[in-house]
Amino acid sequence: MQSKFVAAQPWLSLIFRLTLGTVLLVAGYLKAINLQKSAMAVRAYEMLPVSVANLFGHVLPWFEIAIGALLIIGAAVKISAALGGFTMLMFIVAISQAWARGLSIDCGCFGGGGTVAPDQTKYLEEILRDFGLMLMAFFLYRFPKGRFGLDK
Amino acid sequence: MSSNNNSDKGTRNLVIGMVVFIVLVGAIFSFVSNKSSTTAKVPSSVSSAEGYGIVLNPNATPKIDIYIDYQCPICKNFEIINGGYIAEVAANAKAKVVVHPMTFIGAESILAANAAACAADEGKFLDMNIALFQNQAGTENSGLWTGDYMKRLGNSIGLKSKSFEKCVTDGTYVDWTKNVAKASADANVNSTPTVKLNGKEIDRNTQYMDPVKFKAALAAAGVK
Repeated sequence: MQSKFVAAQPWLSLIFRLTLGTVLLVAGYLKAINLQKSAMAVRAYEMLPVSVANLFGHVLPWFEIAIGALLIIGAAVKISAALGGFTMLMFIVAISQAWARGLSIDCGCFGGGGTVAPDQTKYLEEILRDFGLMLMAFFLYRFPKGRFGLDK
Repeated sequence: MSSNNNSDKGTRNLVIGMVVFIVLVGAIFSFVSNKSSTTAKVPSSVSSAEGYGIVLNPNATPKIDIYIDYQCPICKNFEIINGGYIAEVAANAKAKVVVHPMTFIGAESILAANAAACAADEGKFLDMNIALFQNQAGTENSGLWTGDYMKRLGNSIGLKSKSFEKCVTDGTYVDWTKNVAKASADANVNSTPTVKLNGKEIDRNTQYMDPVKFKAALAAAGVK
């Protein structure tokens, strides 16, 4: 059992790195090509003061791209995974509070975002998806060394 | 062996450094390019104090702020439902009407906002506003809206002057759309359409798409 895990872990780390990295890279790219919309999505959570939300909406996409790229390349995996996991936790908190307060917004996870009709919200599936990605990040933080990575 | 390890480490650090550098440059560039510009040309009816919106009846009260994107389909529905009444209110100077053409849907929104601003300079903003919504493409940035299209659209509502065509061709007010975007973001507008009466948003669940309730909301704010 132990040896099976030892054999499988580098491959698991690779799969999780590519999955989490690709999701972050794509999500960051889709936001970065429309930063007005990205800032709008952050404002719609009604968590941050408007000026902070606007700044955050401009910075987050690039942050996601950087972490996504590093995870895919396999460089600085431990720190990238920690930051990615923290980002997912932040998303989960943000979406949960929006849900609990009865806001009707699109999470803006992959571009888009802002206020939507109440029947168009998808809070549960967004939270579950981010939770799954967060677990992958935890695994990578614990086992950063995988196949085909630049880290040695 | 140890020198090999060192060069591996060097490569790794170089890659990390490059990724961080490229992303930082991108972030700074995008932030600067989205900043509002104090040197942008603005239409004569625009007031920076009113969030760079196009102002009709600057001295009337109450104030109605309308935030739209010309490519937003719900804005089109809103215009079909309430546009006639808003035009009547504006024409009879029953309120100060400030229209903020946002452009977050993309390039064709910028074209449209620029053309609307050009029309405002010729005193035909509301006609152009309606014409744009009536001729909205089914999909965003479909390629339907071009500079020539905007000229033809202007032509169809009687905008035939050289100055209008030049304004559309030159994209005179393209930089102004960034100012509108920035001011709308600062005003915490998260959705289009957004309507504010004397600075306070009307109820999104009931008052937008029901003409009777929309009228009642305006009346409550002092539109006689």
